[in-house]
Amino acid sequence: MRVKAKIKGDVVKVKCMAKHPMMTYDIAKKKTGSRDNANFITHWDGKVNGKTVFDASTSQFLSKNPIIKYEFKAAGFKKGDKLVMSWVDLKGKTKTKKATIK
Amino acid sequence: MQRRKFLTLGATAAAVTVAAPALQAVDFRKEKPDAWKAKTVDDTLKALFGTAKRENKHVTVKTPDVASNGGAVPVDMSCDIECEAFVLIQDVNPESCVVVFEQNEHTIPKNSVKIKMKKSGTVYAVAKGKDGKLYCGKKTLEVALGGCEG
Repeated sequence: MRVKAKIKGDVVKVKCMAKHPMMTYDIAKKKTGSRDNANFITHWDGKVNGKTVFDASTSQFLSKNPIIKYEFKAAGFKKGDKLVMSWVDLKGKTKTKKATIK
Repeated sequence: MQRRKFLTLGATAAAVTVAAPALQAVDFRKEKPDAWKAKTVDDTLKALFGTAKRENKHVTVKTPDVASNGGAVPVDMSCDIECEAFVLIQDVNPESCVVVFEQNEHTIPKNSVKIKMKKSGTVYAVAKGKDGKLYCGKKTLEVALGGCEG
């Protein structure tokens, strides 16, 4: 996973790219013969200093290796703070990545 | 015996009241399992918010008019009022709901994601405002090559 965060005025812009096959039920059935092999990211969150700045529940229809861009208010945060992004997929695997706000 | 029962009841009630505010971050995946199986836009909204009545304002959705690759359709969505939840829905895939962005005092309802679309259709962005009403923006686009079968 790659995360970039940058302060611009009073907002922080974040670009987040995850490496994940995002296999839908349809693709799983076609390629492996079973719907149960489907695997996709179900929940993302982003935290700075323990405060949630991003929270999303997603379904199978994000693209492969999904990219998410979002913004949050910069009030209360400063350059150098650490943004911690993490996701969890359908099989329970999680991944966490830290990025410094620039 | 009755008194004891009463006490247990009281304790259970207290536990529930304490637990409820702790659930500030709603995991829509766990809280609203029906929303992720709903097959139409209206059903998804009913499962998420209890109503499908919506007004067409405040929300903007931007996509290309023709997407060459249905496997990665860029969607920009934004909302100009404060809202509690921001949802992206489309009407062509087997299930409708794509993503639910949950909003709190730090977030801004402005996101862009790439989604899969099986064929040409309409994407809807729906925001639930602080006043409890639903606001909707939509965009119809053509998809040259469907992206759901891989």
